[in-house]
Formats: sequence, C-alpha cells, structure tokens
Amino acid sequence: MTDDLRARLIECFAAVFPELSEPEIPRASPESVAEWDSLRAVRLLATIEETFDCVVAPTELDEMVSFERILRYLEGKRRSS
Amino acid sequence: MKLLEALQALKKAPADGEPFVVALACGFEPLHLETFLAAHLQRAMPARRVAVRAGLYGDLAGNVARLAHAGAAAAAVAIEWADLDPRLGLRNRGGWDPAGLPHVLESVRMRLSQIEAALSDAALPPVALCLPTLPLPPADCVPGWQAGHLALELHALVAGIAARVARGGVRVVDAQRLAEVSPPAQRLDVRAELRSGFPYALPHASAVAELFARLLCPPAPKKGLITDLDDTLWRGILGEAGVAGVAWDLDHHSQTHALYQQLLHSLAAAGVLLAVASKNDPDLVEQALAREDLLLPRDCLFPVEANWGQKSASVARILRQWNIGADSVVFVDDSPMELAEVKAAHPGVECVLYPTEDDAAAVALLSRLRDLFGKETITEEDGLRLASLRRHAAISDLAFRVSDLNDFLRQAEAELAVDFRKEPSDPRALELVNKTNQFNLNGVRLTEGEWRARLVRPGAFLLVAGYRDKYGPLGKIAAVAGRAEEGVLRIETWVMSCRAFGRRIEHGCLAALFERFGAAEAIFDFQPTPRNGPLQAFLGELLGAPPGPAARLTRERFAQACPPLFHRVREVTHD
Repeated sequence: MTDDLRARLIECFAAVFPELSEPEIPRASPESVAEWDSLRAVRLLATIEETFDCVVAPTELDEMVSFERILRYLEGKRRSS
Repeated sequence: MKLLEALQALKKAPADGEPFVVALACGFEPLHLETFLAAHLQRAMPARRVAVRAGLYGDLAGNVARLAHAGAAAAAVAIEWADLDPRLGLRNRGGWDPAGLPHVLESVRMRLSQIEAALSDAALPPVALCLPTLPLPPADCVPGWQAGHLALELHALVAGIAARVARGGVRVVDAQRLAEVSPPAQRLDVRAELRSGFPYALPHASAVAELFARLLCPPAPKKGLITDLDDTLWRGILGEAGVAGVAWDLDHHSQTHALYQQLLHSLAAAGVLLAVASKNDPDLVEQALAREDLLLPRDCLFPVEANWGQKSASVARILRQWNIGADSVVFVDDSPMELAEVKAAHPGVECVLYPTEDDAAAVALLSRLRDLFGKETITEEDGLRLASLRRHAAISDLAFRVSDLNDFLRQAEAELAVDFRKEPSDPRALELVNKTNQFNLNGVRLTEGEWRARLVRPGAFLLVAGYRDKYGPLGKIAAVAGRAEEGVLRIETWVMSCRAFGRRIEHGCLAALFERFGAAEAIFDFQPTPRNGPLQAFLGELLGAPPGPAARLTRERFAQACPPLFHRVREVTHD
C-alpha cells in the first residue's frame, strides 16, 4: 500500500517538476530543487490534494516541504482514515 | 481533466513542435487555469508546442488592452466579478454599504467599457471570452432567492458587451454549456481564492479551459450525415404501417422525430450533406418522403439509398457520390446491429444510435449532432454545395458519355473568378484550408491567427477562385497562398474543393498566378499525405515525375504540359 502511495506521489512530483529525474525525486525539497518556488508549491499542493482526494489544512502546510515529509504526511492520513 | 493529467499532457509536448502561443487575460492568479488551458490546447494540437502567457495579477483591463501586441496566435479572456470591482470579490474589504452599490455599478460599467474598447482592436488575434462564472457575493440587500437590482444590472452589462464584441468576431463561451459541464454551485473554491488568489475549483478551471480551447482550436465540423428512416427519421416501420402510418408528432408520441427532422433541415441549410440509407421498398420511401408534412424537404436528401442490401454498401455508394472521406461523415440509425455493420466496413464513419424509446436521449442527440456539424458562419458556398453535387453527378455522367473532355469543357461556358484581395475577414479561404484533404498541397492546417500572420508578410499573395458554368455556380472553391518574390512563386498553400474536380480549374489558377506576378517559376511546398492523391497526380502530370518537397515548375514547362483551358477568367475587384 505504501509502495502504491509512494509511486503516485512520485508521479505527482514528476508532473510538477519535470526537471527532476526519478532518482532525484525522493530527495526533493525546496533546498535541493531550484524550481521549487511558491507557484510550483501551490501546483504541487493542488495536484496532491486532487490525486489523493484530501484537503491539506493551513496548519498542515508546514508538512509539505519535502518529498519524504509529504509521504509521511500522506501515510499518516491513510492510517488515521 | 485532472491537474495531474494536464501536467503530464504538457510534458508530452514535442520539443521540436512549432510553438503555439496563447495569451491569457484575467484579473485573478491564472495558476491552474493557465495549466489546463495549455493542456487542452496541447491535446487538440498534439504536433504543436503550446505555451500560455498570462498577464499581471489584478489588472484585467490592462491585460486585455495588451493582447493586441502580445505576439500571441490567440487569446483567452476570463472575466470574473471581482476583476470588474474588487468589492464583488472575497479578497477585498471595500464594504457592501447599500449606499455604495451604485458606485460599484459605475466602476463595473467603466471597466467593461475599457475591456470592450480593447476587444474591438483590429490588431487582435482570435479571442475567446468567458463572462463571469462565479457567484456574486451577498452584497445586495435582497435575500438570495430574489434577483436584486445590482445583480440584474451587472448581468445586463456583461451580456451587452458580449453581444457587441461577438459581432466583431470575439467568440464567447456558452454559459448554458458551461453550466452543463460545471454546475454553478461547485465552481468557487473559497479556500484557494483566499489562500492564493485563484478562485476556481479544479474541475471548473478544467471546464472553462476546455471550452476556451474549443473556441480557439475548434474541431473540424463533419460534412455529411446519413440517416436511417424507420424509427429514426420517423416513428414506425414504413413497410408495415404504410406511408400514412409513420409519424412525427405529439399525438403519436413521436415528437422527437419531428425535432430530428427540423435539425436535419437546419443542417442542410448550413451546407451539410444529407443522405438516406434504409432497408426499405424504394417506391414506398419516395411516397413517404413526398408527404407534405415532412419537416425535411425531399430535395435536401441526396442520394436516397433505399434497398434491401447491406447498409454498408449503401453507405459506400453515398460516399462515392459525395466524394468525401468517411471520417467526415456521421451515420444515424436506431439499430445497433446496422451501426456495427457500417462501422466494420467504414471505420472512419462516426456511427450514432438514434434512441427511439428514450425522448430525453433523443433530444440530447440533437445537441450532439449540432456539436459535430456546428460552424461559426454559413458561407455562400454552403448554400450551393448540395445543388452543385447533384450537378456534378449529372455532369460526370455526361462527361463520361462525351468522347473528348475538351469538347465537353469547351461547351460548358465556364467562368473562373480570380480574387487576389487578401481579406482575412472572408472565412472561406481558411475554411477550405482546414477541411480539404484530396486536393491539398501538404495537409497543413492553420489557425486563424496563423493565417492572418501569413497574409501580412512581405510578398504574400492569396488567390481565391470562384467558378460557374452553364450548369450552375460552384462558389469559391479554391485557394492558393504563398509569397511572390523576384519572379518566383513560392506556393505554400493550395487547396481545392473536390466538387471542382474535372474542370481544369487548378490549371486555370496556376495560369492566372503566373500571369498576375509575371513569374518564371513556381516552387511548391509539397508534402504527400495519406489522402492528397489527386493533388499528387496533378503535379505529377505537370512535372513529368512524382512531386517531391520544394518541387519546381517553370512557366515554360507549365505552358507545354497544360491542357487546353476554356474558362473565361474574370478578376474580382469588389464584392
């Protein structure tokens, strides 16, 4: 199940950051990806919300700052649902 | 379309594709509307590389004013209430004091008049306009179930500007269709609006973008419709109920068939070819089609294939008579089996079930057919098409019987009207470019913006040819465009309607071009396509060899290879 979640998240990142190769995606964060600006952040958030059918609350936005943290956030959401 | 799909579609754009740049003018953050617009256009034009350029946040009127000089091939304008006055949005706190509402109206009026002036600029590329789609805030003092003065005035103002700019050529998104695909209550995303300034829910952004894309890059309309008769054009089985027993009215619970007839009549008036393929007794069919209460005149139908053979064979004969490709044709029948049989033999034909037992589905079918055949304008040629097709069939038969084609053409009293005026407002030439397959130099399709840009280049020429003979007019049936420089004609576009075959009109056009520009040579931007065999044969005869890219033909060679021409050539200088 986690593998499926991870694969779908990689798909989202690949669509929003076409500059990244697949091995780079799991390490992606605003610090490591120059293109991760506010516009891409909004696009990434909308893509994740739509793909995983979830709503990220304003207080949860701090979690959306790297591939790994987003993955952990989505795993936590899945466990609690 | 989902946002992820949109982003993935954009990733697939060919890196070496010719750019197609679209300007997007809105007052809100363009964000996902920009992405969806690019994706829907990319899907419609897979060989191109679509790029959308948005304007400045909060400056709708300024963004619209800059469109004329944005260097874009097309433009999309999305108006929302908050862009006309910030008090009509959620991100401002300008107050909803009833005493201030007249000022809201005044500022909206002023902003709209700026937008209207900008949308009337002749230098604009093709423009698609979407009127406000989001709900008004509860600014007026009336309860929500009552239309207040403010709302009524605002809607009247935007409807007024839309009607006026549409007359000038701006294409307006249909609010009824948008409501069907994006229910009004589900359009606004308050959270996104407050967080990022983008007010649309994602499905709404995709819906608006898709309609923009259809307006800016419309699908080619179908050209012909073949209809069944029993339980399709009318209710009942002719062979069982008899001529008087088939029905299309309220009394016999067959009103949807009357609506279908009405729609077909309307399509015929717009130049769509209509034919019948029916397993029936031909004499009975003629009697039924002669009924005076039929809402589709008999002479709109050509040919009528009524027999007991396979419908695919009838469709094959109709396609031959029409001389158009199967992919331009729709076949309507109430029998899934007949549809499957025709589809198997003619995969290109779009086969559509007539839902005899489901009135709502039958009415929905009418909208679907209108979508398949809809076109922006009806040209003079649309009115001539069916008559000229009948004549073509008769003339082909006559020409077949005349031993020498020269004898036949000599007595035809043909007139070739050549028009060298570069008038992009005349939609006929571009219509020919984008629908002609068989006599087409290279199969290149052009958007309206690209067509206009080609015509204003230095040395650009356009020849639009019309034709008539003693058998009747064909209207404007050919267009040749390119550049004339230093005694050389560079022919980039050459299309001719298949209705004009067999009259040496193509030779007449080339002769007129050599004459007009005093050219010693013509170079053709030829490319073979799966369907431009007639053009290849024509060029091959003139060149004495199969044509290749940049095929060259000297005037001298043309004079040697050109068969005798009997047209009287007339240059058109005014309408």
